[in-house]
Amino acid sequence: MEKNEALEKVNAVFIDVLDNEDIVLSYETTANDVEDWDSLNHIQLVVAVEKAFKIRFTSQEIQSWNNVGEMLDCILAKGV
Amino acid sequence: MMFTIGDKFERRFVVSDEVYNGFIHIFADTNPLHTDEAFAQKKGFKGRVMHGNILNGFLSYFIGECLPDKNVIIHAQQIQFKNPVYLNDELLFQAQIINVSESVGAIEFKFTFKNADAKVVAKGEIQIGLLA
Repeated sequence: MEKNEALEKVNAVFIDVLDNEDIVLSYETTANDVEDWDSLNHIQLVVAVEKAFKIRFTSQEIQSWNNVGEMLDCILAKGV
Repeated sequence: MMFTIGDKFERRFVVSDEVYNGFIHIFADTNPLHTDEAFAQKKGFKGRVMHGNILNGFLSYFIGECLPDKNVIIHAQQIQFKNPVYLNDELLFQAQIINVSESVGAIEFKFTFKNADAKVVAKGEIQIGLLA
């Protein structure tokens, strides 16, 4: 899967979980840039991304992300 | 992590007088469907229909008291009510873990409540988180 394709898929997950059709993620997007991306929603987002890509993250991986692009790199590194 | 996909849990609950009256006392939902035998029968039920949200109380008990780890919090739940529950019905609650996201400590269960006739009266899913 290409990184931009993964971005589209993650974007759809964010729209669904956060109930916000206006979300447009980029590689540089951080939690501060997205309304309602708080710690509780972060859990829902991670669970939903895991399901969407049929992958599992480790807590170390999650803590290492500084932005959406790094999340995508992590997803792609799992061979999706 | 004490939880694994496929783990099953089972518990029996009774919608006793105490539970029914306690629910009405606390939440004051005295809709005639729940409190008036003749009204409920006129609407096609066998008798007074117990409040569906009594079952959410049982769910709360299950999560809070029956799991092998007390460090839990409910994140989300959805429930569908499929058949009426009547006073003194004994319900068999069965739950199974369907997802574990270890990275964020989230566990999802699907569950059913069945009555004495083995009919599903409610079913749904619940997601909990493990507190650090």
